[in-house]
Amino acid sequence: MLPGRSRASVLVFLVPPLLLYLVAVALPIVQSLVLSFFSWDGVTDLQAVGFANYVKMFTADPIFWRAFANTMVYLAVCLFFQLGVSLFVANLVSYAGRGKEVAKTLYLLPAIISTVAIAFLFQRIYSYEPPGLINQILSTVGLGDLARPWLSEVNTVLVAVSAPEGWRFTGLYMLILYAAILAVPKELEEAARLDGASTWQVFAHVRFPYIRPVWVTTMIMASTYSLRGFDIPYLLTNGGPGQASELLTTYMFKTAFRSTDFGYASTIAVFIVIECIIAVGLILLVLKRGTDNS
Amino acid sequence: MTTGLTTPVGGRVSAPERGRRLHLARNFASLLVFLIVIVQVYPLIWLFVTSLRPAQEFAGGNAFGIPAALTWDNYARAFASADLGRYIFNSLVVTGASSVLIVLLGMMAAYAIQVLGFRGSKIVMGAFLLGIIVPVQIALVPLFINYSRVGLLNTYQSMVIPLVGFALPTSVYLFVSFFEYIPKETYEAAALDGAGPFRVFFEITMPLSTNTVITVVFVNGIFIWNDFIFANTFVFEENMKTIPLGLQNFIGAMGSVDWTATFAAVCITVTPLLLVFLIMNKAIIYGLESGATKG
Repeated sequence: MLPGRSRASVLVFLVPPLLLYLVAVALPIVQSLVLSFFSWDGVTDLQAVGFANYVKMFTADPIFWRAFANTMVYLAVCLFFQLGVSLFVANLVSYAGRGKEVAKTLYLLPAIISTVAIAFLFQRIYSYEPPGLINQILSTVGLGDLARPWLSEVNTVLVAVSAPEGWRFTGLYMLILYAAILAVPKELEEAARLDGASTWQVFAHVRFPYIRPVWVTTMIMASTYSLRGFDIPYLLTNGGPGQASELLTTYMFKTAFRSTDFGYASTIAVFIVIECIIAVGLILLVLKRGTDNS
Repeated sequence: MTTGLTTPVGGRVSAPERGRRLHLARNFASLLVFLIVIVQVYPLIWLFVTSLRPAQEFAGGNAFGIPAALTWDNYARAFASADLGRYIFNSLVVTGASSVLIVLLGMMAAYAIQVLGFRGSKIVMGAFLLGIIVPVQIALVPLFINYSRVGLLNTYQSMVIPLVGFALPTSVYLFVSFFEYIPKETYEAAALDGAGPFRVFFEITMPLSTNTVITVVFVNGIFIWNDFIFANTFVFEENMKTIPLGLQNFIGAMGSVDWTATFAAVCITVTPLLLVFLIMNKAIIYGLESGATKG
């Protein structure tokens, strides 16, 4: 504690940030919680409905469950890129010779492009008529039969709207993991290698345990960001065709601002928050078990 | 995970042999990285090339090959069909105001929590940390209702308030982590010289924080510049639109989709951030790396 501080000085520094945080984050959370127990279209009077919104959501709304299942697929695709591919590339970069800095910069590039621009880009990449990049490549390599309108087919649309989100942040997580790999003591790996350990063994027994804490942070970041993913599916398909690419976030947004059902939308929003908290809890739980074992 | 490097399991290898293999493996890894980077960046290169491709050629089927000719026409049409300057200006205002507030408020809160200290500071810190995992969607409906009551819809503030609020947790966290490293003696010496909490803040804490400020600005700046969800929810008047929003209705504004002009518009709006990124990439990469690994 700083000598000579006063209660007044603490307040001067603390109140402005706290006030903004309350207005922008804390109060809306409380309001959403309250609203989730009401039915309200924004015009007529609020109507208290008790737990009716929650009952409807869990028992009588197939779209909600569809959106929830879709969100899990979306999460899986994002994690494949952001945890799997990024870890692979981070390792590759650590073994590469020259050009590391350039590679890092270029690899990060998609992360600075706005989601709207990315949505435009992928609309063209997935396009069927005129043939987009993917369909052209397929027909060039003689797999023309596989060409399809990726964004309007029920079976492909969900993965198609998930992949761009995974792709654009691969570079970010690669950088973070690469920074962690740099911190692994070289002598440890060298010693293991001299003892005849293969590269895979060095990775699994020396490198990965060492970067594990950072990997868990990465996992929490990637999971919570993916669970709140909204922009690209909203812009590419707006949840369609039907509900084939509807996520909880797009469903919540439509319920609020298309159907102006603020009460039910708040119920879904509360669920999204709980979902994020559960995800973080699960990851930390698994991490704790993992470290206890090792 | 790390293909390309094969050292026989068991059995030691002679030193020169090992060196030669390491060299080979390095080259192979470099080649793979190169290929992966190409795949990663190709869509962006294509986007840029398309913005220079004649519209007829794009529509005529040659959308992905090497363009037969290059033209600036698309850029002229992009500027003619939307007020891109206005969008860029709005984005600059929102990003600038948000960044200043995120740094200033984050630093103030961290200073109160970590340096001044007070009873219950742990609880306040916990409340801020909780905000890191709260998804922004929770605030959309309440803020929309609150804004419409006080007439804040379609204003810069309507975007700045939630952007700052949701970025504040990481900002506070990064500043608190940094302030832990400033030795107590520094403050004690200043206090002996008669400096109060305000002078210490402005003359010691602030100047020492430059690196953390850079980290906080870059980590958040990219996300704020590209924010879509708050702008899309709270802003619908043309003159208040930021770049992501302006781009989105770029297509609608022209009736049929003029893809080459759209990509030209994308290129124009990406340029400011791209320039900053390429010039400052060392600092940004450092910021992103340290920002996350500290957690």
